[in-house]
Amino acid sequence: MNTKILCLTRGGEGSYPNQDGAIAIAKERGQDMMFLYISNIEFLDHTAAPKVIDMETELDELGEFMLIMAKERASKAGVTAQTLVRRGFFRKVLSEVIEENNFETVILGSSSEDTGIFNEDLLHEVTCEIHQKYEIEFIILYEGEIIKTYQVETGSETEQEDYEED
Amino acid sequence: MISRIVRSKFLIIVLLIGMIAVIPGEVLASSQDPDQEGDYVIIGQLLDEQDQPVEEAVVTAVAVDGEQVVAETESLEDGTWRLLLMEVPSGEIQITIEHPRFNPQTLSLNVNELSDLNNIGLYQVGEIILNRHINAGFWAATLIFIGVLLLIAFEKLHSTTAALAGMSAVFIFSYVGGVFDPGFFIFSFERGLSYINWEVIFLVMGMMIIVAIIEGTGIFQWLSFQAYRLSRGRNWLLVLILIVITAVASALLDNFTTMLLMVPISLQIGLAVGINPLALIIPEILASNVGGISTLVGTPTNIIIGAYARISFTDFLVNQTPGVIIALIALSAYVLFHYRKEFFKESSAISPALYERLEENARLDDPQSLWKSGLVFILVIIGFILGESVHLSPAVPAMIGATALLIWLQPDVHKMIIAVDWTTLVFFMALFVVVGAIQEVGLLGLIATGMASVIGDNLPLGIFMIVFGVGTISVVVANIPLAAAMLPIVDFLTVLIPGADSKVLFYALSMGTAMGGNGTLIGGEANLVTAGITNQTSTPITFKEFLKVGLPVTYITLTIGFLWLLIKF
Repeated sequence: MNTKILCLTRGGEGSYPNQDGAIAIAKERGQDMMFLYISNIEFLDHTAAPKVIDMETELDELGEFMLIMAKERASKAGVTAQTLVRRGFFRKVLSEVIEENNFETVILGSSSEDTGIFNEDLLHEVTCEIHQKYEIEFIILYEGEIIKTYQVETGSETEQEDYEED
Repeated sequence: MISRIVRSKFLIIVLLIGMIAVIPGEVLASSQDPDQEGDYVIIGQLLDEQDQPVEEAVVTAVAVDGEQVVAETESLEDGTWRLLLMEVPSGEIQITIEHPRFNPQTLSLNVNELSDLNNIGLYQVGEIILNRHINAGFWAATLIFIGVLLLIAFEKLHSTTAALAGMSAVFIFSYVGGVFDPGFFIFSFERGLSYINWEVIFLVMGMMIIVAIIEGTGIFQWLSFQAYRLSRGRNWLLVLILIVITAVASALLDNFTTMLLMVPISLQIGLAVGINPLALIIPEILASNVGGISTLVGTPTNIIIGAYARISFTDFLVNQTPGVIIALIALSAYVLFHYRKEFFKESSAISPALYERLEENARLDDPQSLWKSGLVFILVIIGFILGESVHLSPAVPAMIGATALLIWLQPDVHKMIIAVDWTTLVFFMALFVVVGAIQEVGLLGLIATGMASVIGDNLPLGIFMIVFGVGTISVVVANIPLAAAMLPIVDFLTVLIPGADSKVLFYALSMGTAMGGNGTLIGGEANLVTAGITNQTSTPITFKEFLKVGLPVTYITLTIGFLWLLIKF
């Protein structure tokens, strides 16, 4: 597989800046990319009402729809993108997808503060964990801008200013 | 293959047992053995301060002359007791009544009063009112109930686990604490089980199977897509159609399931037309909570209220629906105003690929199953309505419908067993026991007495207090336990307040619990699950965002509900 960049996204309007940021990186490097959507129905365990719906399939369809939107954005920018929908806990699934493929770079988007589930701290924690294991480049975006990179050679993290100097 | 057959048989056997369980008690009672008779009988009935029967009180008759126990018995479920004497003592008889949660009472029957007993073999003591005393069991049950509510509200434990923990604590206090201090005894295991409303359990179970089959057809996703097509870029029209679909679906299925079906497709439609999907989804949540009030099966709280107060499917439909429609109109007007910038902006054009995917996701998956399950569902509704004339529990048509669908459609029974959400059924059972505990120790009686002293004979004030009081509490407290706990209180007020025998206070409870659930994101199960789904995208519903729309809508709809009940009753 020729796809070198993996971009984890949740889709929707709040993700557009980070999706565009990831697309810009792929374009700059001349590489294909893959958008990954991970669904998790754990939230259903906290409710007492009857759960008679095949919610995993519903969320798969939702994810596929949102990834088509991301793919169209990439296509408009002249970048070839593939899509992948997976189920489960995002740390575990992200590791699995990295292991199954030959990515050079993983791009994660930090969400804005008021809706933040994937906030910078969480992404930093997860990235450190996975980065050490697979030794590939990680980039964290916020509002489409690079705020942190984790390089392959040193294994050290780099803040945005340093990255630009590099 | 064998395991499938075994599972299929298991499910059908469970359904059949359920049908037997909810057949009116009188039918089965006729086959019971008559009680053993004695030569002389003293009878009476024990009631608490709210005129509710007192069960399991020990009634002892002592012949004063010889200080000898001549008869002993326990009061039954309806509070009645019968002392059977082989012979009438020559002197006075002293009858002692003892119960762990009531002050003991003693009454004497003198020789003159015993003459009836001697002559006709029967003496009626009549009704005896017992006064409660607050003991350790009262505080234990109260703290357990509050603990369960807090565990659910703060999501420290799964609701079912929280209710099971509460039920276990009740029995630990009763059986272990009771050894050290009899005041800790709340009730026996058998007495605890008597608080479980099996009609609710089997109605919920039957409806789960029917709904699981109907949802698999994709009808509601298809309807949502048609709403999108019909609106032709007019977003205000789109949200109005979605509100109607959600409200009707909530009334026929249940509001929780409706939101599970509607949210993913609505998110896609919102993103496709270029508006904030929450402008579609939040109104849908509000409509689902209000729309469900119309029918017996529309909300879990209605199922509980209907089973307890014997309110039929038609009663709910006739007495609630007009009020619900007016409330939905007001709700629609408010959300159109609140999201006017989203609804009146120009829709973005959708790409062919997205349109194709949207159409694919909203397709009718199984038209054959749709018409079959639709037909059975209509027959179940007819069964609800016709069954009222013969006092047939709604659980029976629901379970017959579920069984018919299993036989007719032959769905994957493994999936159907999963579709029956056993954790929810266990939640209901455990919750009924915990609520039974606070009823048993007199907490609900105390609250009822307090409310009665404020309300007096003023029915409109009673309706107001239930609609707005329960509605306000429902904003932050899970509405299912709240409704279950309020039922005995409302029952007491119904007996006490002139004119309330129309069951208007139960309708007020239905409106209060359901409409109050719109107040905050944690107010209802449908709200929470919708938040969970939107959390899977980058447009999650925040507590603040929901509050801004939900709280005003709550009080607008509560006011309409209150005014409607005043007009109707």
